[in-house]
Order: sequence, then structure tokens, then C-alpha cells
Amino acid sequence: MASERQIAANRRNARKSIGPRCGAGKKRASRNAYRHGLTLSVISTTAVAKQLDKLVRKIAGDSKDAMVLERARAIAQAELDLARVRRAKVALIERASAFGELDPPQLTVTQLIRILNAYDRGGRLIIPKPIDALATMPSQELDRSAEAIRRLLPELRKLERYERRAAARRDRAIFNR
Amino acid sequence: MPRTNELTLLPKLPLLITESADEFDALRDAFEQEIKPRGIIEQIYVHDISAIVWEILRLRRCKVVIINLALRSALQSLLKQLLRQSGQYEYEVEDEAQTLAQSWFTVQEAKKQVSEILSRFDLDESAIEAEAIRRSSADLELLDRMLASLETRRNKALGCVAEYRASLAHQLRESADRIIDGKGVLRLEDAPSERSTAA
Repeated sequence: MASERQIAANRRNARKSIGPRCGAGKKRASRNAYRHGLTLSVISTTAVAKQLDKLVRKIAGDSKDAMVLERARAIAQAELDLARVRRAKVALIERASAFGELDPPQLTVTQLIRILNAYDRGGRLIIPKPIDALATMPSQELDRSAEAIRRLLPELRKLERYERRAAARRDRAIFNR
Repeated sequence: MPRTNELTLLPKLPLLITESADEFDALRDAFEQEIKPRGIIEQIYVHDISAIVWEILRLRRCKVVIINLALRSALQSLLKQLLRQSGQYEYEVEDEAQTLAQSWFTVQEAKKQVSEILSRFDLDESAIEAEAIRRSSADLELLDRMLASLETRRNKALGCVAEYRASLAHQLRESADRIIDGKGVLRLEDAPSERSTAA
């Protein structure tokens, strides 16, 4: 654990930083807080804005009351958010089903250090072949989907939380809580 | 059942390639017939309930497949334990266990042989399934948590339909009362005082 002096020094040094300087660094830093975009408001994509308006109209009926329209908008937005999370879930399962995994295999830091240490000791630079995730997928379609779901369980649980929150937002708007 | 106007406005539920749109429609129709939604809000809830139940079914299927897929390695591990004589290491029986576990699914003779080995230790095929469940327990636990969460959401959505109907009925009663008051219709509780004024 860092000592008090180290923490203070880190903070002092951090204050001197002016952040990323090059274009690529700035671009990367601009996406620091971005993970999956599911918390973005649905209208920010504009493609679904028309669908949102139609749904708002349907929920609000002929009402011109600003409060009613506001609540209708909240309900419709939550409903479209729910749909977006559900689409993301299915897309991830299909991708994992097709490729066996979401991210291409990468060397871990430990593996990399081991390879470089062996090379430093005068050995040959031998990079292990990545494990083919697709090769370990079952051949039958139904089994593949199930295996893809199994491999994605942590991600799917996170998406489930977003779904729950969107549903809670919709219920709050419907019952005006 | 033909899709109503409200349903075309709601986003379509995305399905996996292996899933049937007709089966999902049948499930939703069953819920529609049972709940008989009136208006867009109730339609939204029926759509939500159908989507949640569909996902529950998907995860339940997945649970069965996960156990089935773990059967081979479970049998192999079990056989290694059962075939090993005292003083022997597991790797010494590994090949035999692997061959037997692989042929257990297709060759009748291998199935019989495995049954004999199991019965020597007072075990039967349920021991293989138990080992498969044990080996998949981490995944099954996660799946169970997701299923529990989905079931809670489904029950909540069903409760919301009832709550919405109750609040709608309450609003309608209030509106009806307001109309009656507004039009000066004689209310029962006002009747005696009206009569006394007239007298």
C-alpha cells in the first residue's frame, strides 16, 4: 500500500498533468467513461426518434397537457431503452455463438513477461498459439446458443440490471411515483 | 391472433436464430387472452411479461444444455476416480476413462460397462448427472440468479397490470362522480335536505 508521502507526491504530480496532448490521446480519453452506451438516452441516436414520437402520441392520446405528455415521453423512452437492451443481449449471444467468444484471444501480461524473460535468458522467442474458442463450441445450433449464453453470463447479468432499471423508470412514470 | 394497432407501435422482441417467432407470438397471444389488455399501457405490460417469460424459458433450456454438455467430462472424472486401484495415480487410468466416457454416448456395450463399474460402488447414472451439476455449479448459480431476477420482474409486471386497472377504475369512478356533481343530478345523501327545504 502507498504511504501518506507517496499519495501526496502522486497527487502533486497529477496536478501537473495537462491531460492527453495528441489527437489520438484526446480521442481515447474522451471515451474513458464510455462502456456500452446503454445509459445514453434513446433519442440521442435520432433513428428511433420517430418511433418514440408515435409511441408518446399513442400513450398520451389527444391530451395537450404538458405533464401528461412528459409522463408519456418517459414511458415511451423507457420502453425503447428496454428494447435496446434486449437487442444488445441477442446480438451478443449470436456473436458469441458464431465466434465462440466476444474478444479475440490476447496474451496476458503474465504470459508476455514469461515469453520476454525466456527470450532474455537467451531462448527463442516462442509465442504460444491462441486457444481457438470456436473449436470448443458444440456443433448443434441449440447447444451453441446455450454455450454462448454460458460464456456470456457475466455480461448478460450486467445487461439484466439495465433492463431492470429501464422497467423501473417506466413503472415510475406510469404510476407517477 | 391478428396484431392490434398498439402492438405494431411497440418494439419487436429480438429473437435468437434458433428461436421461433411463431412460438413467441403464440406465447404472447396466450397472455393476451388471459389478461385481456385494454389500452396501450396494458399492452406494454403484456408485451413485457411475454418477453420476460420468453427469456425465462430460454435460460431454463440453457440450464439443461449446460448440464448435458458437462456430462462427458463429468463421466470421465467419475471414471478416473472409480477405475483407480489403490496405489495408482489418476493419470494411469486417464486413457481408459476417456475412451469409455466418449463411447458411453453412442456404444451400447460401453454404456453397460459404465453401469457395471458404477454399480460396484452402489452408484447409478444419477451420479454422472450429479457430477455434471457439481462441475457446472458456478454457471448454474449465475443462471439461477438471473432466473430469480426475471421471475421477480414478471411478478412485478403482473402486479402493475392489476394496480393500473385499479387506479384506472378509481379515476373513472371519480370522473363519473364529477360529471354527476357538475350536472346537478340529485345525490341520495342530499335527498332529505332537499325535501325539508321544499317543506
